[in-house]
Amino acid sequence: MTREKKLKVTIDSRELEVRPNTTILQAARESDVYIPSLCTLEHLPSYGACRLCIVEVDGLRGYPTSCTTPVEEGMVIRTDTSELRSLRQEILKLLLSEHPASCLFCEEHDECKEFQGTIRKVGVTTGCRYCPNDARCELQEITEKVGLTETSYPVYYRGFPVEKYDPFYDRDYNLCILCGRCVRVCNSVRLNGTLSFKQRGKLTTIGPAFDRTHLEAGCEFCGACVSVCPTGVLSTKVSKWYGKPDSQVATTCVYCPVGCRLELQLKNNEVIDALPDYDSPVDQGLLCVKGRFAIPEYILSPERLGTPSRLTPVGYEVISWDQAIDEAAGRLRGTKPEESLVVVSPQLSNEDLFVAQQFTRQVLGSDSMISSVMVDLGNDLVPFLELAAGGSTFDTIEGARGILTVGFDSTYGYSPVGTRIKKAAQEGALLVTLGACDSNLDMLSETAFQMDHSRWAEFLGVLADYQARGGGKGKLKARKEWTDDIERISRAFSDSSTNILVVGPEAIFSRARREVFEKARVLRDKLGWKIIIAHPYTNLLGMLAMGAFPGVKPGECLREGTSVTLSFPLIDLTKRKKVVYFIGEGRFDMLPDCDYLIYQNGLPPATSRQPDLILPASLFTESSGTTTNGEGRVLKIEKATEPFMDAKSDWWILSRIAEKMNKGKLKYKDVAGVQTVIKRQVKGFYDSRRRIGFARINAEETTKWLKGAPNQEWEGSGAGKNPSYRGIPLARVVAGMKVVDEWVNTSLLSEKEAR
Amino acid sequence: MPEPIRTILEKHSREPDELIPILQDVQKEYGYISAESVKGISKYLRISENTIYGVSSFYAQFRFTEPGRHSVKVCLGTACHVRGGATLLEMLERGLGVHCGETTEDKRFGLERVACLGCCALSPVVQIDKEIFSRMTVNRLTEQLKEYE
Amino acid sequence: MNKLKKKINLAKKKWEEFVDNREPIIYVGAASCGRAAGALDLLSDINRFIEESKVKAKVVEVGCIGPCYLEPLIDVKMPGEPRVSYNNVTAKTLQNILKAHFQEGIPFARAAIGHFGSDSYHGIPRFYDLPMLKPQVRIVLRNCGLINPEDIDQYLAVDGYQGLMKALQMSPDDVIGVVRQAGLRGRGGAGFPTFKKWTVCRNAPGEQKYLICNADEGDPGAFMNRSLIESDPHAVLEGMLIAAYAIGASKGIIYIRAEYPLAIERLKTAIAQMREYGLLGTKILGSNFSFDIKIKEGAGAFVCGEETALIGSIEGKRGMPKSRPPFPAISGLHGCPTIINNVESLGTLPNILRNGAEWYTKYGKEGNRGTKTFSLVGKIRRPGLIEVQLGTPLREIIFDIGGGVQKTFKAIQTGGPSGGCLSEEFLDLPVDYESLASVGSIMGSGGLIVMDEDTCIVDVAKYFLDFTQKESCGKCVPCRVGTRHMVELLDKITHGEGTPDDLLSLRTLGDTIKKGALCGLGQTAPNPVLTTLRYFRNEYLEHIKDQRCRATVCKDLIEYRVIKEKCTGCQSCVRVCPTGAITGPRSEPHNLDVTKCIKCRSCYEICRFDAIAGDAIVIRTAEKKS
Repeated sequence: MTREKKLKVTIDSRELEVRPNTTILQAARESDVYIPSLCTLEHLPSYGACRLCIVEVDGLRGYPTSCTTPVEEGMVIRTDTSELRSLRQEILKLLLSEHPASCLFCEEHDECKEFQGTIRKVGVTTGCRYCPNDARCELQEITEKVGLTETSYPVYYRGFPVEKYDPFYDRDYNLCILCGRCVRVCNSVRLNGTLSFKQRGKLTTIGPAFDRTHLEAGCEFCGACVSVCPTGVLSTKVSKWYGKPDSQVATTCVYCPVGCRLELQLKNNEVIDALPDYDSPVDQGLLCVKGRFAIPEYILSPERLGTPSRLTPVGYEVISWDQAIDEAAGRLRGTKPEESLVVVSPQLSNEDLFVAQQFTRQVLGSDSMISSVMVDLGNDLVPFLELAAGGSTFDTIEGARGILTVGFDSTYGYSPVGTRIKKAAQEGALLVTLGACDSNLDMLSETAFQMDHSRWAEFLGVLADYQARGGGKGKLKARKEWTDDIERISRAFSDSSTNILVVGPEAIFSRARREVFEKARVLRDKLGWKIIIAHPYTNLLGMLAMGAFPGVKPGECLREGTSVTLSFPLIDLTKRKKVVYFIGEGRFDMLPDCDYLIYQNGLPPATSRQPDLILPASLFTESSGTTTNGEGRVLKIEKATEPFMDAKSDWWILSRIAEKMNKGKLKYKDVAGVQTVIKRQVKGFYDSRRRIGFARINAEETTKWLKGAPNQEWEGSGAGKNPSYRGIPLARVVAGMKVVDEWVNTSLLSEKEAR
Repeated sequence: MPEPIRTILEKHSREPDELIPILQDVQKEYGYISAESVKGISKYLRISENTIYGVSSFYAQFRFTEPGRHSVKVCLGTACHVRGGATLLEMLERGLGVHCGETTEDKRFGLERVACLGCCALSPVVQIDKEIFSRMTVNRLTEQLKEYE
Repeated sequence: MNKLKKKINLAKKKWEEFVDNREPIIYVGAASCGRAAGALDLLSDINRFIEESKVKAKVVEVGCIGPCYLEPLIDVKMPGEPRVSYNNVTAKTLQNILKAHFQEGIPFARAAIGHFGSDSYHGIPRFYDLPMLKPQVRIVLRNCGLINPEDIDQYLAVDGYQGLMKALQMSPDDVIGVVRQAGLRGRGGAGFPTFKKWTVCRNAPGEQKYLICNADEGDPGAFMNRSLIESDPHAVLEGMLIAAYAIGASKGIIYIRAEYPLAIERLKTAIAQMREYGLLGTKILGSNFSFDIKIKEGAGAFVCGEETALIGSIEGKRGMPKSRPPFPAISGLHGCPTIINNVESLGTLPNILRNGAEWYTKYGKEGNRGTKTFSLVGKIRRPGLIEVQLGTPLREIIFDIGGGVQKTFKAIQTGGPSGGCLSEEFLDLPVDYESLASVGSIMGSGGLIVMDEDTCIVDVAKYFLDFTQKESCGKCVPCRVGTRHMVELLDKITHGEGTPDDLLSLRTLGDTIKKGALCGLGQTAPNPVLTTLRYFRNEYLEHIKDQRCRATVCKDLIEYRVIKEKCTGCQSCVRVCPTGAITGPRSEPHNLDVTKCIKCRSCYEICRFDAIAGDAIVIRTAEKKS
């Protein structure tokens, strides 16, 4: 790349060199010249509405806005003349006459500051505290910088009722200054189109079509609008009254395999909010509702397990960690390997998973270790793992010319993938969606095919056939009703240089998945398609790497260029077990009959079978480690707060029990210790420069290895539709997720009825 | 999708540029833009319903409720204003018992204001359905309205 | 090109036959305004007459010749006789006119306004000698009302498309050169030299370029563009071809108000005819120039007259202006170089190309070459569409052409809602871009609204501000919020509740909006207030200090009274009063209860309407509030 030639400009009599293709505002900011601005924001297209960033430029008439005017060689710019200062003040006065401003100009402002703590949450009529954004408001900041100390115009209080009926965030448009950041982020960054300006002039408002709620309007609740709002219009329900956070910690979201970067917001050693990081390469800041809004309520749930406890005939008895470890060790010691079962969660960290498999194998001497992914996929697990391990990175979507999605919808999950697909489609890539019901991607697709799951594989087959035969020679073996369409689509995909197939949960949890997986493999291996499997098992690749599957040793699957056959030992869930140990998992549908149940998790299970021993585990915001995302990147999980009460990390609990049972084994004192061992056993795992690569998994393996799997709810089954963390549905503890779940279920129902 | 809207859509290409012409055709056909129409247009043009609503509510031409049987448009151009257009509008609002932009309860009249009909030399003018009445007075207008059912 | 020449010859022959008619021709002025005045009823009467009296005659619908105060206009041209024009024709006079011509063989001189012959004719004056027309120079409007706008042959016969043919024989750069030499400035309002804009666009990189004809004539009180398109659509279309050729555009769009259905119809007809004649499409007239035109109807937003908003609207977005640079000439519609020219600028081009730049520079004055059309309306005797040389003094326009005002002249608003309101002292101001700007007004697209003593200046200022406020797109703060404050303050003043400080606030607000607003609409919005504050300060102060509205317009400052001496007690007003404020037995002077009166004006009008007592009800300034 040739180096960009810098431009010489003069800003406020300083001669500066600035990057070309920037606006005056960007150039000024990069040269540490302050120009006030409200509507501009990095990553958003410039808009030029607030008029505060006006400057004077020699040769340009009037007062151009610096956020919209590109720098040119030799420009002479003034940013701080007295004329500009007074014009800015006048404009800000006007702006503030649409925005209640007692937080700025009240005479009692200083006197009442001390008492404000007690009068929060009061209504508009009683005065001051109508705005949750105090002290983190850009308008307050700008007012100070512009030097405005009073306003002469009457305030038009627009008298809108505060909109509280949608989940996750409230909206008080009385505070809106129509800077349009939310509209731009919703339309230009998220490509979702929920928010729009409505009406015009002084009647302009912001919101969805007609008087719909955000839920009805197809909002993803990604919260991007909330993050960019410079005032207090949009505020997160959970954290709105906390005030300014004390600090933030960057970590990785473990709710799904995308692995989005989160900026956890902390106040008083509590996680109160999670914000996106637009510079994150994995997700580009395109968080979904779960990462954005479903974390604090889960972590701070009143149901959190805080102390070890033991079931007695009269209920649970709180015990110390020493007693709990003794109890667990005692029970496990007397159990034969085939009489025990360990259940691990795919949402554990790599380190926890590694210790869990070590524990099962070395301490219990067993290999009977299952997880939700095994139970959900049943005997289709191997082909599934094969595809998941051979998936492509998310950024391949950016260069794709053809994209086909099967049973994929990114409204409430996989947003970084969904939004990239939308962007590609908007920029001209061919997008075709295939599903049983509406998908949020239909909006931008060339054709949206709707048909029963049972026909998806056939569809893919016709497509693959067409392409394999190199186009129109011979008769197309397709159903009559789609011949025209599929021929057109097939031709378009054949002409395209890079195609991507995205297989979504609807397909993964459909009866016909095995055939879909097979066709996907054909497209990939024979025709060079890229595949992305959008499944819900967060650390699935970590499980493979760490050997957290029965019969799979740590590192065994990571030898790139080789092939590996996964042969699972028979696991019989119909047989009664002596001890079952649930590690970070709360789904009891896979619990076989047992004499003794150890339950190690953050929240209690929802079940009638009470665990005999409860071990409170810390959650991902409370302990460090790593997770492997769907692309094979090993991402850091950073401890943000101390664990809840007496909760402990999973690896810690396992190590202590192991120590007790079998002196000398698994004496881990910290995560670093676990990582040292992993480094030794799984070569190159922590090499942050590259993704981990997998050996080719032999997908022809068809041994039936699972007996007594719980009944699957086909078509839109649990795992895809109702997201959970460590086996606990988010909807159970996060109020907004419950609303979203109900909405999804009712709209699915009405759609089914309509058909 | 109801047949007529499909017929309207098929007359246009699927470029976003066609949004306003489509909305105009829909309004010509139905007299207003219904939620159902917006949905149909959204699928056809691949623009979100919210964006379509945002665009259509910007322009004075589009309405979202069923219109009256007759549209009464009072011109409030400058010439008409100087010659009493506003008085006519006020009288109509009072006489019909509706505000500008609304439809009478019996759906007989929908009352609107227009910025200028371009017949300034004949001001004040009122347009009832397609006919333009020039040099209107309060009393002539009252008489005129009686002719519409 | 030869094909067209053949067509032209044919058209000329047809035209000559048409002009040396063997059959009588009846012209009906049927532009929108004529129609509003009842032209269509007359048209059917004429057809009935022809049928019933079994005479042979051609009936031709023509556009608008300009003097709207004469509408409806009917012209009759008998074979070998000059064309005679009749004004304000009613159904009754129509019968007389037709009888006179067809049965008696003479014109109905009593009702005639003028004739188009060269000599005197039955004592009827020559049409162009009428005081309204004599001072005018008709270049853009040369064909209006004279040819059938729906017949391309008539346009060809009067040298239509000659300008285009000349242009196609030149290089695009030379065409730009001619326009430069002619000194044409944009007639949309700002008066930016047309050639400059074109040169930028011509030199801008990009395969695809667009030419947009801005026919979104949104200024209330202005109808020049509508009239021109309705009366001579081909002139505008020819101009588009010339402009497109010069800048290298292959696609043209006419953005026209949906409120102008007749103009749209006529454009569609004209475009179809152009296709037929090979004037649109690929390789026009055998040259390498290809061009096509699409019509886009506006959807009712004044701000879409602003270039960037107009482009947004065409792209199917909300019509919200964008900051410039980049200018549309470099990055406009779909990011391609785009030129937006006003209807009148385009309509002028064929004339400049046909007659040469030098000819054009004979009109107007240095820096302000050529003519400008205006719609002259308001409290004026002869309202209508006029065309004068740039630099013509206001006085000549108002008093010579417009015939002055009925009562006392008070003010003239130039440039529509974005313009300024000028008082009597500026009557000798020449109408050109710079002179108008120097007194705080603008040329605008050409609306001239005359006001007399019955017009309240504060009310007019409020009207304009209210208009721009309602039409503000709402994007930028100064315009959205600032105009709102201004309207509120003006409203306060018209209610007699203003304070002298409000005038200062109005000034400050006006200044902030002017400097701070994003687009031209916002930047010019305060002009009506700023100019009236300057030139009619006293009237503001009267409202504030004396609670007096001398024009008896501001409702809160006036009251209705019955003059007992004049009232005959006819009870007409009692019947129309919606609040029962007027009472009184028949044949006795009525009482008007001021406390019940809502000032709806019904009684005032009925009193004059029935004309029994004439003016027993008066409106007058209210007693000063205590």
